[in-house]
Amino acid sequence: MRGTDWCLSSAGAALVLATSSDEQHPAESVMDGNSETFWTTTGMFPQEFIIGFPRCVKISKVAIQSYLVRTLRIERSVSEDPVGFEECIEKDLEHTEGQLQKEEFPLPEFQATYLRFIIKSAFDHFVSVHRVIAEGAAENT
Amino acid sequence: MVKLAAKCILAGDPAVGKSALAQMFRTDGAHFQKNYTLTMGIELLVKAVSIPETSDSVEFFIFDSAGKDLFSEVLEKLWEQLNVLCLVYDITNEQSFNNCAKWLEKLKTRAAGMHVPGVLVGNKTDLVGRRVVEQKQAQEWAEQHGLEYCEMSVKEMKNFETPFHILAKSFHQLYKEKVETFHSLA
Ligand SMILES: Nc1nc2c(ncn2[C@@H]2O[C@H](COP(=O)(O)OP(=O)(O)OP(=O)(O)O)[C@@H](O)[C@H]2O)c(=O)[nH]1
Ligand SMILES: [Mg+2]
Repeated sequence: MRGTDWCLSSAGAALVLATSSDEQHPAESVMDGNSETFWTTTGMFPQEFIIGFPRCVKISKVAIQSYLVRTLRIERSVSEDPVGFEECIEKDLEHTEGQLQKEEFPLPEFQATYLRFIIKSAFDHFVSVHRVIAEGAAENT
Repeated sequence: MVKLAAKCILAGDPAVGKSALAQMFRTDGAHFQKNYTLTMGIELLVKAVSIPETSDSVEFFIFDSAGKDLFSEVLEKLWEQLNVLCLVYDITNEQSFNNCAKWLEKLKTRAAGMHVPGVLVGNKTDLVGRRVVEQKQAQEWAEQHGLEYCEMSVKEMKNFETPFHILAKSFHQLYKEKVETFHSLA
């Protein structure tokens, strides 16, 4: 079964909030399906961004491509508004000099209208996030 | 346009002028505190500095801590995830200069291998006749330890903004370098 990536703007996802913004590296860069574009954090940690889906969707795997992220926490909400978040997973990532972190989080299938990515700490002053992916069945409701 | 944010620690021995500097910087030179009131705990001030020839800026979250707390645990937590360091000594007080090594050591243990831009600042240049730490000596020491260097007199409002401009520039440079690295990854 080939799933849909709900985090793509082309799939209807929209950025709700990001705590940092460099006009040249906006948070929308994590939703464009392109690993070459990225969001940069510009300040102190924690840093976060929230992605909203067009409706409540089913997700069975979350993945991230980033650099210099240490502790990452992913939360979801099933509310209509971006409130009432609950934890999906929290993990310490590894850092290899010069290599993009490509981390996959296989999760028991869950529903979400919003996903929140919190970077709690980092290996350096700044981090980049190149892509986030939330794979789920493409279904009609 | 990018607005960076940096956690900045004001460190150095008691009475070297850290709080005087913070006050002066906060009020744009409108207020010099003549009487010495030692800092208890930690004071925070937030102020942005723009980067010349760009539309970028760095917003500093400046933590003015107590010089007497060099060896206390109060500071351990505060020094976590710091971005830049402003290390102050008094040019009329040799001990305050010698102790900079200890402050720097603290930085090294907290920074865990991360490069933290720092500036060494000699204060009270108005007390010409009482100078015991020569500029050359301090400058060399700063260079050896990878720090930028400047001297100031908070009392005479001389160069009191310089340390923050130096730190803003270094931090901004660091950001630009990191972005280059991020570009090279995919
Ligand atoms: N002559 C002279 N005195 C200064 C200067 N800057 C500060 N002082 C004086 O030095 C004394 C100590 O200044 P503070 O800023 O309180 O010192 P501090 O580093 O914050 O000290 P702690 O809080 O105990 O760590 C005060 O009496 C200030 O007025 C200066 O440039 N020249
Ligand atoms: Mg003080």
